[in-house]
Amino acid sequence: MKNLVCFLLVFVCTISSCKKEKKNNFKGTIGLTVLSLDNPYFKALADAAQEEAAKNGYNVLVTSGDFDPSKQRNQINDFIIKEVDAIILTPVDSKSSGIVVRKCNEMDIPVFTADMTTTDSLADVVSYIATDNFSGGKQAADALIEALEGKRKKVLILDFPAAESCLNRVAGFKERIEEYNTDNSLEQIEIVAQLPCNAQRDQGFKATSDAIQTYPDLTGIFAINDPGALGAVGALEKANKLEQVAVIGFDGQPEGKEAIRDGKMYADPIQFPRKIGRETVKAIMQYLNGYEVPSVLLIETSLYKQADGLADKEIKEYH
Amino acid sequence: MNKTIFSFGSYGIFLVLVGLIILFSVLTIEKQQLVGEDAGTALAAQVDNAKDTDRILLITSVSKAEKALITGFENSVSKELQLEVLSQTPPAVRKRIVSLIEANEIPEHIVLSNKAKKWLLFQQMQTNFPELKNAKVATIRASSGSNFLKKENLLNVADQIAVIAIIAIGMTMVIITSGIDLSVGSLIALSAVIVTTLIASYMGAEDASTSSVVIAGLVAIVVCGILGVLSGVFTTYFNIPSFIVTLSMMLIASGIAYTISEGQSIYQIPESFVWLGRARVFGIPISVLLMVALYFIANIIMTKTVFGRYVYAIGGNLRAAQLSGVPIKKITIIVFAICGLLAGVGGIILASQLNSGSPTYGTSYELYVIAAVVIGGSSLMGGEGKIWGTLIGAFVIGVIQNGMNLIGIESYLQKIILGLLILVALVIEKYKKT
Repeated sequence: MKNLVCFLLVFVCTISSCKKEKKNNFKGTIGLTVLSLDNPYFKALADAAQEEAAKNGYNVLVTSGDFDPSKQRNQINDFIIKEVDAIILTPVDSKSSGIVVRKCNEMDIPVFTADMTTTDSLADVVSYIATDNFSGGKQAADALIEALEGKRKKVLILDFPAAESCLNRVAGFKERIEEYNTDNSLEQIEIVAQLPCNAQRDQGFKATSDAIQTYPDLTGIFAINDPGALGAVGALEKANKLEQVAVIGFDGQPEGKEAIRDGKMYADPIQFPRKIGRETVKAIMQYLNGYEVPSVLLIETSLYKQADGLADKEIKEYH
Repeated sequence: MNKTIFSFGSYGIFLVLVGLIILFSVLTIEKQQLVGEDAGTALAAQVDNAKDTDRILLITSVSKAEKALITGFENSVSKELQLEVLSQTPPAVRKRIVSLIEANEIPEHIVLSNKAKKWLLFQQMQTNFPELKNAKVATIRASSGSNFLKKENLLNVADQIAVIAIIAIGMTMVIITSGIDLSVGSLIALSAVIVTTLIASYMGAEDASTSSVVIAGLVAIVVCGILGVLSGVFTTYFNIPSFIVTLSMMLIASGIAYTISEGQSIYQIPESFVWLGRARVFGIPISVLLMVALYFIANIIMTKTVFGRYVYAIGGNLRAAQLSGVPIKKITIIVFAICGLLAGVGGIILASQLNSGSPTYGTSYELYVIAAVVIGGSSLMGGEGKIWGTLIGAFVIGVIQNGMNLIGIESYLQKIILGLLILVALVIEKYKKT
């Protein structure tokens, strides 16, 4: 029995030490729940938000929805109980997240969405800070058009239909491709298939492996994020087709940028998650201090190619 | 009340739950504020000495609780005052104050609700509005209390764990027969997808009537029950281990859910659908009431009926059960069917809580359900287990998850601590037994 008591005491101490001590200039708490902290992109976003908040005397509770809408709902309910001053949300599901945002509205806790937002028209979000995904998709198409010059033009899209942000990327991509096709009636770019990779590496790998069985003459792939694109690269390497197919990702994750530097991927429209995290916290500070904030703040992507990779000294970092 | 039902003392795990509750109650002690009308009354007392000519500005945010505060304040001020109530968002409040200052109508008293007090706008009042330095600011002083023990939070824990706890009833029965059901997570998704698809595609989407919503729900539950029956049939008639059968069923159910929904979440459903997940009776969420009712029924079935004794007999000693004429196949199939039906119910509650259906729901729920059953004292070898123990097991998991969120433990660390605490809970359970 003594052992047991010791065991428990150790636990109590461990947990207590995890409880963050409040500092003197403590002003309040922000609850943050992102899609998944396993994705370094959201880790960077969360870290930057935490740093920016700390500068202003705010504490950030960082949690991860882990792709599970009900887990994320529980986290936000816990934030409401804790009476946080604001919530930063990257919804796991653009549609179903609305219901819990409505509850925050009822409880007067301002919700700021970062990177993705909720599509529920009855849910009020103070401000939505994100990458300009539509124009980013156009940049991806520009890069692919450049990569496919003088080649056959059969393209696969790896998408993530549950995420609004990724739908926008694909829409921008397709719009630019269509523009190209109307201008160049002789050299049409054909989108042979659009398969889900659900923003995950293993699924990108599987979808690509299957697609090259059906379309062995594929020459280009646009994946809606880096894990999806890296999965595609893996499948192409395995099938010995990496030379033949130009892969465009999206994000600018360290691993994606390294793949571009090494010539495995052609280019990425890169996002700036740290900037999104910082700008979100800045918007919260402004709002709580009584200043109007814009309801949408879009942050442009920029195209990152091999030359950028070779010159990049901070390739392992996000910007 | 029946004494055996509430003899929690015999469950070692109950002590663990009590321990966890005490632990998190202590760790979540924070400053608590008066709310509603009482807060208004307390604030009104602070401006009691105001002169008739004094301008008073009462600032709150826009929620319902704040409306009550305003009523409480207005009812409690004894005399006619020059009162202006600002129930707004921070930017709107700043605008109004700036215009008051410009018009040189600086209020002598500023009364802040707790919400408003926490805005940066007023935390940094001296720098924001140096003109207001002579104004008297009235706020409510805080007392200490535990966030965990708030009634709202305790209901929140029960609501969060309801789906897992309900499915754990079926899982307890399956595990007592020495089987296991890995398909429940996928059945949650399937049920959620079926009910929302039926409503969205065949019953008029947002305009669906309540009766058709109920029918859609029943269809979803029955489909899950049928898949449960299939699991039972394969386990008994073909003598395949239930681990493998339900693993296959997990893939099948998940695949069907993805196919029906085309990988999308389905949200074209009427507002009335959220009733199950959000409505409250006597202040208690429906899902929690349903959970409690199902536990009472299940406890009676397992302790007072022939069926219950057969379930224990099958898991305790299969050969003996067979020789004494227990209809093993029939009982096993029924047990799997119950587990499937309850998973279907769980899926509908989840869909209702989230106001949509998606094939991603329920991922890895089977593991939490199994953990709840095992923490609750059921043996994976079969023949042993109690329904109330499972409910406690589910609450152990719910309390740990909720407590860690309230304390603000980092997300990675949460997984480690949850795993370790489950182990500790099991160790204590073992100590208690020996």
